Amino acid sequence: MIRLANKKILIAVSVLLVAGIGAAFLTSEKAVDYSTDIKPIINKKCISCHGGVKAKGGFSLLFREEALATTESGKPAIIPGDPDHSEMIRRLTLTDPEERMPYKHEALLKEEISLLKKWVKQGAKWGDHWAYLPVKQQTIPDVSGGNNAIDAFVLEKLKAHDLSAAPRADKADLLRRVSLDLIGVYPDDTIAQKFLQGGDQNAYGELVDSLLASPRFGERWASVWLDIARYADTKGYESDGHRNIWKYRDWVINALNSDMPYNQFIIEQVAGDLLPDPTEDQLIATAFQRNAMSNDEGGTDNEEFRNSANMDRVNTVWEGLMGTTFACVQCHSHPYDPFRHEEYYQFLAYYNNGRDEDVPGEFPLLRQFPDSVKPEIDAVVNWTRKAGGDTEAARVKLLLRSYQPAVNATTADSLQHAVIANNNVNLSVQQNGIARLRNIDLNNASEGILRFYSNKPGGQLVFRLDKADGPAFATMSVKPSDRAQTVVFEYPEQQGIHDVFIQYRNTGGGLKPDDFVISFDWMAFHRGLPGKTLPGYTEIKNTYTRLLRMELSGTPIMLENPDNWKRKNVVFERGNRHTPGKEVQPAVPASLRFAQSSSAPSNRLGLAMWMTSPQHPLVSRTIVNRLWEQLFGTGIVETLEDMGTQGLTPSHQALLDYLSYQLMHDYQWSLKKLLREIVLSSTYQQDSRWSESAGDDQYNKLLARGPRLRLSAEQLRDQALCVSGLLSTKMYGPGVMPWQPDGIWNSPYNGARWQQSAGEDQYRRAVYTYWKRTSPYPSMISFDGAQRVVCAARRIRTNTPLQALTTLNDSAYLDMSRHYALRMISSAASKDPSARITAGYNLLFFKSIPAEKLKTLQRLYQQSLEVYTKSPEEAAALLSKKEATGEPKEMAETAALTIVANALLNLDETITKN
Amino acid sequence: MTKQDMINQRLLKEAAAAQMRMHTRRHFLKESAMGLGALAIGSLLGGCGSNAAGNAEPAIAFDPARPLLPKSPPFAGKARSVIYLHMAGAPSQLELFDFKPELMKMDGQDCPPSLLAGKQFAFIKGVPKMLGPQAKFAQHGDSRAWISEHLPHFSTMADDVCFLKAVTTDQFNHAPAQLLMHTGSPRLGRPSMGSWVTYGLGTENQNLPGFVVLTSGGSFPDAGKSVWGSGFLPSVYQGVQCRSEGDPVLFINDPKGMNRDLRKASIDAINEANQQEYKNYHDPEILSRISQYEMAYRMQITAPEVMNINDEPDYIHEMYGTRKGEACLANNVLLARKLVEKGVRFVQLFDWGWDAHGDHAGNSLNLGMINKYRSVDKCMTALLLDLKQRGLLEETLVVWGGEFGRTPMMENRNGVQNPFKGRDHHTEAFTIWMAGGGIKKGYTHGETDEIGYSAVSGKVDAFDIQATILNQLGFNHENFTYPFQGRPFRLTDVGGKVIREIIA
Repeated sequence: MIRLANKKILIAVSVLLVAGIGAAFLTSEKAVDYSTDIKPIINKKCISCHGGVKAKGGFSLLFREEALATTESGKPAIIPGDPDHSEMIRRLTLTDPEERMPYKHEALLKEEISLLKKWVKQGAKWGDHWAYLPVKQQTIPDVSGGNNAIDAFVLEKLKAHDLSAAPRADKADLLRRVSLDLIGVYPDDTIAQKFLQGGDQNAYGELVDSLLASPRFGERWASVWLDIARYADTKGYESDGHRNIWKYRDWVINALNSDMPYNQFIIEQVAGDLLPDPTEDQLIATAFQRNAMSNDEGGTDNEEFRNSANMDRVNTVWEGLMGTTFACVQCHSHPYDPFRHEEYYQFLAYYNNGRDEDVPGEFPLLRQFPDSVKPEIDAVVNWTRKAGGDTEAARVKLLLRSYQPAVNATTADSLQHAVIANNNVNLSVQQNGIARLRNIDLNNASEGILRFYSNKPGGQLVFRLDKADGPAFATMSVKPSDRAQTVVFEYPEQQGIHDVFIQYRNTGGGLKPDDFVISFDWMAFHRGLPGKTLPGYTEIKNTYTRLLRMELSGTPIMLENPDNWKRKNVVFERGNRHTPGKEVQPAVPASLRFAQSSSAPSNRLGLAMWMTSPQHPLVSRTIVNRLWEQLFGTGIVETLEDMGTQGLTPSHQALLDYLSYQLMHDYQWSLKKLLREIVLSSTYQQDSRWSESAGDDQYNKLLARGPRLRLSAEQLRDQALCVSGLLSTKMYGPGVMPWQPDGIWNSPYNGARWQQSAGEDQYRRAVYTYWKRTSPYPSMISFDGAQRVVCAARRIRTNTPLQALTTLNDSAYLDMSRHYALRMISSAASKDPSARITAGYNLLFFKSIPAEKLKTLQRLYQQSLEVYTKSPEEAAALLSKKEATGEPKEMAETAALTIVANALLNLDETITKN
Repeated sequence: MTKQDMINQRLLKEAAAAQMRMHTRRHFLKESAMGLGALAIGSLLGGCGSNAAGNAEPAIAFDPARPLLPKSPPFAGKARSVIYLHMAGAPSQLELFDFKPELMKMDGQDCPPSLLAGKQFAFIKGVPKMLGPQAKFAQHGDSRAWISEHLPHFSTMADDVCFLKAVTTDQFNHAPAQLLMHTGSPRLGRPSMGSWVTYGLGTENQNLPGFVVLTSGGSFPDAGKSVWGSGFLPSVYQGVQCRSEGDPVLFINDPKGMNRDLRKASIDAINEANQQEYKNYHDPEILSRISQYEMAYRMQITAPEVMNINDEPDYIHEMYGTRKGEACLANNVLLARKLVEKGVRFVQLFDWGWDAHGDHAGNSLNLGMINKYRSVDKCMTALLLDLKQRGLLEETLVVWGGEFGRTPMMENRNGVQNPFKGRDHHTEAFTIWMAGGGIKKGYTHGETDEIGYSAVSGKVDAFDIQATILNQLGFNHENFTYPFQGRPFRLTDVGGKVIREIIA
């Protein structure tokens, strides 16, 4: 019954809609528009059988040339200009249910058919979706009122809907709103007071400028970016072990604080390693792509997860940076957007030649030299430049920084008395064991580096050319150690590209044949340091060797394969790696190739150049839309992850394009300038109260009022730390572990433990909290934090009782409540409870508490005070040791105030940005 | 209508009434008229795959303010809730349900090369020996089902359960196999079955989480919390791990030094202040927040009581074989019954320690596993009897199984015979049983070859089981989708066929 009723409504609505379309059609002389008139019909009624995955009867409507091509019947279904002879139109109008299209579904409406007819008559032209066309400069509407161009676009829309803008929010609300938005916490008291006391219009602008200049700015916006970058402190999958990649998080914070132009921000993350003479920071930026998960579970195939990581990288740049869902194309052509199956693999090819191979050691790593030895690195590099030229200098620099190019021992084959441990960990070798390393460039090579572990004395390694019993070109004796070692060895200069056989022999005796006595992580073979005959060589060689042998921690980065290790790029049929199809070369999709410069190299750098070209239609729009969503709660295109034809229609497309154009041109890609423009608009500064004049716009799409939305997980924690006076402003460094209940971490196989941080590390901003993918910090997840397993373009805000339980009962929040109460006491004008509550409210909202609210909280205070006066032991239990030592009266008061503080931290207006 | 139905109807009405109270008439009308705007993300459903135009089910409305309100499935399902008992580590079908006398005859012989050629095992290397069943079997009940001596209690339930004896998988490592079983993909990132079900059906008791996860101490399953994660579904649908130590639900207990009256007073004050806020701002989200705080309070009252099994009578404890104060399977199974009785939609249990390799006594088939059999026999039998006597079995779907099976060969790790009797991971055949929820009673579906190596008839996989579970709850698994990364995803990915043969 219910469904029947719904259907009736649906039909009624369709009739209305169609009547509308029909009316527009009759009164208008203009040509049928593919995107607005035709594509919706095709997508709704035709495409699921005739496009993308399926092309029934050999007919597909996905691309124009497909649609006009000959079908299985031997003739084309659409003849441009001739609807009467177009099979598609004929089949829509038949009565035989076996023949009439859509097959076994309701017939198209008359009005739809006549639109299609007219479209074919006009030449069956295909149109482009707005988001795939370059951003054009916009004309600012001529509307009175508002502060800047943004307001002109918004007011024009409001006017068209007979709505008017709300007045400006009061200063206190505005201060809290803009502070939480721009820096995620409250500003220093002096800055806050200056704004609150300041009278003139400039005060707000000055406030905004000081917020934009605050180091807290980068921390706030890093949290947003890290969802896209799927940053985490662990590797993911089963064992989800630790990953040392926090330097990337710090890079993001710094880049945002220094207002690195957004195009540069993308180039460095996508292709920092391919820039000329990259800096350490530019290499760390490429860890963006190393945030993909890697799988250490025993027995898993490294090659499978290397491919998974690359696909994840592709999906991440498309969804996160270009607002387009591309993952579809992995298996088949995109059913709605102009991307073909093959194009996914052309795009994937940009990533297919990375050195990373899903090994547990996460090589290649950028070695983190202490600053003190950097002059020595410079000395070695300078020496090399002088003695061997720029190319050699770059090679040696890369070698010192990363040991690359090195071959991962897990790729060894032709194993005798040797195994790849767990199929994916390392190469483990027994007495007389031999393994082959393929395709090693030994041109002018005379030096090698090995990373291995062996605690057995008496071992020797022999390196042979091309065969297990081929000529030995190098030998090395293995000194036992209880730790993994990195050893440099030399041999007579070799030429050519060879297979290298590595053989282990031990003459020490006492080994059982079954014992695995040495295990290798990787090996490198390369030229020695040039300039042997120059004075000072011995000294610089010693420095060089010492630098190579230093045991350092490293950050995973992207690096490209040298030419002799280039992998072939192929299409995976239906997305399956085991059914390789034709070979492809790196390329961007044809439909967006117009944004590519002809001089762009055919690698990730070329890819980054394409993305950041001012012609590129998606990158600027995506970031503008994302920043807008952060401030207003809803993007101009609500579906941040998809601006394509399946995404939602923009609420203010001209505004989106205006800001995108400004970003690329006037602002020179400065995100701070963009944010400044938005928060200075009168649109942003509106009061967020709902009023009758706002009409039916429940979701505030037209912006007739200011934004009012729940804070993010990070903003909530940081705000509470801030008002309780606990917030540490310490920046950077490894992830910290604030209080969390026992038993949250319980990983199979690895003994990782949540080791509660000491001192101020307890109270660091949320962006520094250690992020374990399979078990993120509980309060982050209950407030809709992303799991950071894959790129999360958008967080969906929910409202659940588990959130209430978190802010009510989580010990971390109780701790903050206690400190907040103490701060209420110390900042109140008197000992009077109402003065204290008033002070507390002021700390949180910068304004005096409304009388009614004060009454409510005073009552709570009195109820609490009664309880704690009667039972001092309860008060002692609530308070921490430090406060639990005072006079019973004082303790009861502090405890009662803690209950009030806890309530204040739970108010809707606290959890929400007004 | 059973008594439980009536109780549930009442709970439902109460929850709905509470919701209503929180809405001013104005807001309610506005909301109904506006629909859910763009958040009815289901409206984006399009055909990237199998959905032919027009046959998609109506989109599931996702209301972020009340995401767990009960919803009707597309068609009337026979089951109302699910209890899924997962024996992590993978129990041996050959010692419990899949009786293979022929294998006994081959005991100790070298494994024929035909069984090894082109096969991949987790640990077996070279040529292992065959290992006969380490148990005596007998037929039970009218259905004459074979059940081993290790499950004396469960043997009495033969006529109430349905055995699937030819379940297969393509994953031979624990984590991916568990993920496949519960999320439809061996990789991380997909929503688990319980998340799908609570997304589609909501839950009947708003004072308790809709999707509860219980682990019996020891370690988590290998796949970690991802086996009850919400993947790309809103996080509200992830499984809530209820714990046997500490707070039963995270943060459910009041802080030390805050008594229940003060908590009540404090929530009242918060809500009063929020009402004042609502008068000022008219934002309906404030009303939702008020109702969430009320629910949180009710959950604080209800959950510890429901999660406390100590108030059950002694004979019930005796029946389940519970152990006071311990985190064990029997306690969790009893708790699972209490939870479905109170209207929890999906209870997922994980037991641990079933990985019978035989590389030490604790995981050998004839030593350590004996304890595991004992620990599960009594409580899973009690669960079925208890649900039955309460009239709940028909509407509660109970599923029991592991992530894969065990080899008919004895494990020889690195080519050397293991010191104890054990079996390696096996993908080609294992047994899962189901009961209640509209599944045939006393029925066996599927058969393996004479040594239990591979399925010969009635072969099913994880997708088929998922499709069947969804079917029993009232969903066509092919149409129950959620749009993500540009295409509609479903629990069963591109596979799955409802196992019609086992539906009553």
